[in-house]
Amino acid sequence: MKQKLSALSGAGLLGIVQQYGFIIVLALVIGYFSLVAPFFLSWGNALAILHAIAPIVVIAAGLAVVVFAGKIDISVGSVAFLSATVGMRLHYDLGVPAESSLAIMILVGLLLGGVNAIIIVGLKINSLVATLAMMIAFRGLALTLTGSQSITLPEQIRILGNAKIGPIFIDIFVALVVLLVLNAVIKQTPLGRHIMAIGNDEDTAARVGIDVPGTTFIAFIISGGLAGLGGAMAMVQVGSITSFLGQGLEFTAVAVVVIGGVSLYGGMGSIWPGVLLGALTLEVVRNGLNQVGADPYLYQIITGVVIFVAIYAFSLRRFRAKPSGVRVAEANSAPEVSEASKPNQKMV
Amino acid sequence: MNNLVVRMSGISKVFPGTIALDGVDLSLTKGEVLGLIGANGAGKSTLVNVLAGILKPDSGTIEIHGEQIEVRSPREAQLKGIAFVQQEIATFATLTVAENIFIQDFPTHRTLLKRGEMRTKSREMLDRLGCYFGVDDDVETLSTGDRQMVTIARALMSNPSVLILDEPTSSLSVNEKNRLMTVVKQLRDQGVTFIFISHYLSEVFSICDRIVVMRNGVVAGSGTIAEVTMQQAVEWMIGAANSQQPTRRSNMELGDVALDVRNLNRLGVLDDVSFQARRGEVVGVWGLMGSGRTELARALVGLDPVDSGTVAILEGSELLPKRSSRRRNLFGYVPEDRRQEGLFLPLSVKQNIGIVGLKGLSRFGLVLRKKENSLAEQFIKRLGIRVSNMDQQVRTLSGGNQQKVVLARWVAVGPPVYVLDEPMRGLDIGAKAQIRELISELASAGMTIVVIDSELSELKLVADRYIVMRRGRVVAELGHDADEHNLMSVAAGAENLT
Repeated sequence: MKQKLSALSGAGLLGIVQQYGFIIVLALVIGYFSLVAPFFLSWGNALAILHAIAPIVVIAAGLAVVVFAGKIDISVGSVAFLSATVGMRLHYDLGVPAESSLAIMILVGLLLGGVNAIIIVGLKINSLVATLAMMIAFRGLALTLTGSQSITLPEQIRILGNAKIGPIFIDIFVALVVLLVLNAVIKQTPLGRHIMAIGNDEDTAARVGIDVPGTTFIAFIISGGLAGLGGAMAMVQVGSITSFLGQGLEFTAVAVVVIGGVSLYGGMGSIWPGVLLGALTLEVVRNGLNQVGADPYLYQIITGVVIFVAIYAFSLRRFRAKPSGVRVAEANSAPEVSEASKPNQKMV
Repeated sequence: MNNLVVRMSGISKVFPGTIALDGVDLSLTKGEVLGLIGANGAGKSTLVNVLAGILKPDSGTIEIHGEQIEVRSPREAQLKGIAFVQQEIATFATLTVAENIFIQDFPTHRTLLKRGEMRTKSREMLDRLGCYFGVDDDVETLSTGDRQMVTIARALMSNPSVLILDEPTSSLSVNEKNRLMTVVKQLRDQGVTFIFISHYLSEVFSICDRIVVMRNGVVAGSGTIAEVTMQQAVEWMIGAANSQQPTRRSNMELGDVALDVRNLNRLGVLDDVSFQARRGEVVGVWGLMGSGRTELARALVGLDPVDSGTVAILEGSELLPKRSSRRRNLFGYVPEDRRQEGLFLPLSVKQNIGIVGLKGLSRFGLVLRKKENSLAEQFIKRLGIRVSNMDQQVRTLSGGNQQKVVLARWVAVGPPVYVLDEPMRGLDIGAKAQIRELISELASAGMTIVVIDSELSELKLVADRYIVMRRGRVVAELGHDADEHNLMSVAAGAENLT
């Protein structure tokens, strides 16, 4: 808090723009759409937006944990698909109760996260390569299990798609709880701080005695488990499992994480509000363009621009933090200046 | 003696190719500051790494407070009261100061961090250390010196009975250094024992109660600060005079000034470095670790930016200043780490030799295989590189032959100036002699050569003249007659004794 204040008073208007530029842009976008689309700024639409982003928020939050540790998990979309498929097959083929099959989906997600972790931590394989391979393999496995047919959901689960508490869809609450709990884990527990430390510098983390392999392992398990949960949520929203479930979701999740200010180099960013803002931005743009009846392809172009702007704004902010680097160097040069003139204290 | 805190006896450690420690004994008494000194590679760091549980000794015993123990991990060492502040500053930029201090042992309540306790305790510790930055500041906003203080605060949090400081002052400003010295004295008076590793004798003699000098993995000498003179310490660091004869060249006539370096500055790295070198001259750059030798080499060849200063090279009869991007082609540069920076390990010997002069080997952008082959053949023969064939992967060659490949690459294009950073590191005696001969040969042919070597006796065999560096400055230029004592004294900052 103190830091934010000093940034404000120190740098004036430019500082404000750079510090909060992203939120300002989001506000401008919302302002624009509320002017041109009459129903945009309404309770109903706000809830619709939150409802729409709930699954991706859950998945992106899990991915963010891995990214904090300086790694990446692009298998999340396939994990979502495969865990949902396994859950439903167990229900239909083995008669597992429908409610338990939802829990099984999360378990399968955790398990698949563990598979990723074993490959990355145990075999020391680059996380992008490992999860790329798993992205393809998991999807293939799921397609085999479904025989590329869609699976209709049983009634007990399908009704969850319309379940509300008051006027609010329950998946919004689920996403909210995930965000808040995960945010606490990252910011307020040793595990979270160790994940951030590893993302800062893995070697240094190992040198101060942090359990780098174990912690990285847990990060991938969290990512997998939340991909499983997110997959279940997406499935419930759609009402069935189609072979498209989770397809391309990994890249939406990466976009959400990046737009939310999480550095892909690791060690930086936040679940709350970072991931939430990232997801909101994407959906607000999509929803708004939809309402003004824009060309659907325009959405992709604008998404590309938004990602670029987000990363650029982020790099500006980092650049602004640089002056301390100069201070470092100045402090360092001091000994050279005075070393020569300094008499030897101990002369014999 | 009840005051004995640590007793290490007969500690040996062998690394492939070198004996890092050979039966070292070291004991520490309560509340003393022990200065551990020695030239590069003398075994200081290995010894403290053993004590701190980072390396396992091959033989020898460690007793702490009279109880014989095995220190199997850094964590275990910490529990036994041994804290280690490593030379490389281990902080996390995007975590707060308090988080950095507690990273090894977070206080928690039902798995949640006790932020309040972290803040209060960090504040107390930083106040004791005379630091005024906030405990909630991100470490990335701190100077290098303050970051060093954060690591010291972290080490002190475990209330150690022994605190090892490995080159703690190398990144500190004078003020920060003085502050650290005050803190060390304070803690010593409270009964903390220190091992203080430094390359700077003046520092060691001002803060330590006793010194131990290491050389080649053994204790070369020790004594209290009252007994030992700086001169004596320098003698111990050097050891018996080396009897090898320098490879002198027949043709010792020096030509014109071919390299003119003026006022090279880089904040925190190089401080107003100026020197000249002539055609046919081998200039040895000498200094202890962290003196800025490699940084100078990288700046010379244009790999690192400089804030100001010029590097001019003789062209025709004129010294012409060259931009850094040009210098990369005009200097034959052999980097310190040949495997990482000098070679393309998966490529063949032939490809490695031809890589710098590829333009001359190609037509219409395509490499002419015949030319590449004949070039490789010629230089494999000329430098006596031992390969089964020129398509052999460079990875599979011995160190000496790898180094020859790096050199061959440059000799093939014939730059006027060579900058060689540790060209003989890790080579066997025969290979070293061959590299030395090659250096002499190049100098006799009128090339200008700048050599860095941390083995003083080795440098003495090739250099015609020396520039001595300390903390980024050229502190002395010494002639060919300089002996090892002179060179070591100047480099360690004990030059006003003779």
